[in-house]
Amino acid sequence: MKRRDFLKKSIGATVASGTFLSLGGMNSAFGAGGFFAAPVDLVAVKGGGPEVMFDRAIAELGGMKAFVKAGQTVLVKPNIGWDAAPERAANTNPLLVGKIVEHCKNAGAKRVIVFDNTCDEWTRCYKNSGIEAAVKSAGGEMVTGKDEKMYREVTVPKGKVLKTTKVHQAYLDSDVIINVPVMKNHGGATMTLSMKNLMGVVWDRGFWHRNDLHQCIADFATFKKPTLNVIDAFNVMKRNGPRGVSVDDVVNMKYLILTPDMVAADTAAVKVFGIEPSAVKHIGLAEQLGVGTTKLDNLNIKRITI
Amino acid sequence: MQHYFKKIRVFVALFFMLAFIIAFSDIKGTLPSWYYNSFLYLQFVPSVLKFITPGHILAVGFIIVLLFTLAGGRVYCSTICPLGTLQDMVIFLRRRFSPKSRLRFKKALTVMRYSVLSITIVSLLFSGMFALVLLDPYANFSRIGTHILQPAILWVNNLLARTVPETGLHVFEYRPFHVASFTISAGMLMLVFIMSVFRGRLYCNSICPVGTLLGLVSKLSFYKIQIEPASCTKCGKCQAVCKANCINIKTLEVDSSRCVACYNCIPACNDSSIGYIFSGKKILKLNEPASDKRRRLFIATIAGYLASKTLPLKASGKPGGNRVDKGFYERGTVSPPGSQSIEHLHERCISCHMCISACPTKVLQPTFLEYGFTGMMMPKMDYSVHFCNFDCTVCGEVCPTGAITRLTKDEKTVTQIGKVVFQKEICIVETDGTACGSCSEHCPTQAVKMVPYKNGLTIPHTDVSICIGCGACEYACPVTHPHKAIFVVANARHEKAQKPQAEKIEHVETDEFPF
Repeated sequence: MKRRDFLKKSIGATVASGTFLSLGGMNSAFGAGGFFAAPVDLVAVKGGGPEVMFDRAIAELGGMKAFVKAGQTVLVKPNIGWDAAPERAANTNPLLVGKIVEHCKNAGAKRVIVFDNTCDEWTRCYKNSGIEAAVKSAGGEMVTGKDEKMYREVTVPKGKVLKTTKVHQAYLDSDVIINVPVMKNHGGATMTLSMKNLMGVVWDRGFWHRNDLHQCIADFATFKKPTLNVIDAFNVMKRNGPRGVSVDDVVNMKYLILTPDMVAADTAAVKVFGIEPSAVKHIGLAEQLGVGTTKLDNLNIKRITI
Repeated sequence: MQHYFKKIRVFVALFFMLAFIIAFSDIKGTLPSWYYNSFLYLQFVPSVLKFITPGHILAVGFIIVLLFTLAGGRVYCSTICPLGTLQDMVIFLRRRFSPKSRLRFKKALTVMRYSVLSITIVSLLFSGMFALVLLDPYANFSRIGTHILQPAILWVNNLLARTVPETGLHVFEYRPFHVASFTISAGMLMLVFIMSVFRGRLYCNSICPVGTLLGLVSKLSFYKIQIEPASCTKCGKCQAVCKANCINIKTLEVDSSRCVACYNCIPACNDSSIGYIFSGKKILKLNEPASDKRRRLFIATIAGYLASKTLPLKASGKPGGNRVDKGFYERGTVSPPGSQSIEHLHERCISCHMCISACPTKVLQPTFLEYGFTGMMMPKMDYSVHFCNFDCTVCGEVCPTGAITRLTKDEKTVTQIGKVVFQKEICIVETDGTACGSCSEHCPTQAVKMVPYKNGLTIPHTDVSICIGCGACEYACPVTHPHKAIFVVANARHEKAQKPQAEKIEHVETDEFPF
């Protein structure tokens, strides 16, 4: 819970100095019930465009500077798995990804790296998702996820099935990881959310599919947790996921969820999607492994409607 | 004026060579289809094949080449033909290394070149494209580009991408090594290299069927490279630079059937005694007109070839879909979308591998014996390498022969090249009782759909009517033993799939957060 400690300290410092640097900080301090209340654990925004919702949500968490320090290397990991146009919602919204990169650069990040180990041919995915263009114009850099030499074998100490796996160097070496999945229906894993999105940083996904997919997803979530998870539920693929067949599979739900806790993020998102968290097996398995909590009632949630 | 011809020829030849090199360097697949269509338009054999494919009446590049040949001889061989330019580059370098070496007049290898041409024509009638596949200069060059040049470019690219990140280059995967294609490409490169080092354009005047055919036409051309005996001093400078070894300084004759119109001789002559002279002009020793015998052979050549196109050809591709016994399928070999059928490939494909070079996913691979011996090196879909990108139509866009016809995105996405077969007995969900869905995840039409199964699991369910045979399910299936649990069985003749139907989703917006 390093992140939470950090947030506590930063808000404490803000209070002590008596200066409210950001509107977000003030909102969270008051909104959560007073100066000494717990900091915000999860922000859920609905009703706006992807960029607008992100601007509001990140302000609630103290701005991107609360996560990214000057000179750091940041990995932004969206879902870019498919050669599909943005309106198909098979990939994370490019406007959202571009906005996050922009916030990271403004917070002083030295490098902002974006990649995915795609399912379709990667150059087409990067291009047709609109993510490559959005990232480059925001000052980030796209790296390939299809070069095996960029992956290093790691052990997953808490893994039950997944003991070792090859992970992309950008995930291992970056100071800050911002996980930006798009919420989708998923034929095999029921839903694809923040934990499932991390499948895109490993080399051999076949092993996961062969050896209890849900357990492997939960196992890998114990390995190295992202600094922040941003679930894009602006356009949502309600069926035929994760690739989708056409725009008919997509509903414009206009939600965004931000939290450092992957289990909480996925629990909240599943409820937005309209099914019970227990239906998505890896969420419960991850909670058992101590990755996070499904008990949203115990969390300090900031809900914003735009 | 004619002194500039050589410079113009070199410029045009390098232009076409550069176009090829750019195409093979395009590892990111960013070149538009018009690029391929324009620089390949004048390639002789591809143009003929495309012209006789229904719907390609505008593929008249070969007619333009024939008209040029009738006007001024084998200009094709020194400008458009990439294998010719490759040989010229070798000859140029050789001259740099040993500037004193001189080329000499050699007798024409008449028997050999007409035999090779005849064999090519006869084999077109009886055993398909195989001889042309091995001998067409464009196909040979394009294979050298695909299997030798492109991997070399990729190696340099990957080296730079890893060592100098400032270049912004990305590492790309190599295409799987294909023994037959590499061996034939490398062998042809060696052959052409050795021949051109020792005997100039010997390949073009002994083996190349296009060269021999255009040589026959150039006997009739209006303008020929000839020597003006009145001013000629018999210094032999023209003969010394003649790559085709076709200038006989003793008789002052130029063998127009072997002259590749490189124009090296024109600036070499101090007396302006050699150059284009109108064929009708009476000069001391005029070349004999094409004999009746040869003219007959030429007519037979064209007639024989066109006849071959009207006759059904025997193709040995295996049709798929027959269940042999207990779970073993005769799966056949899937041919690329737009190729219509394995038979069509056999009638049109010269295995130039331009499609294989341009395929962004590398799912297109050369065959070995899957289409039979005469179909060797033709493109097939290899789902162990990758699967066919749903929206991609690149192979049909770059194919210069009409072997892979061009499909629009709407046509491609309903072109069924094979059909999905699911074997539940070996599926992970059935054998291990754990979730997977990898096949359905990759399926672009949801012909493979996950449906509810035991213990809250989902299992694949297939709908062949909307399956296009792209192989995404087969590629993604994590089962390896004894074979994939889901795979594509080839359609020997491509069929049309239904478009997936979808109803709109009802969405009710709520004001409350659900948590």
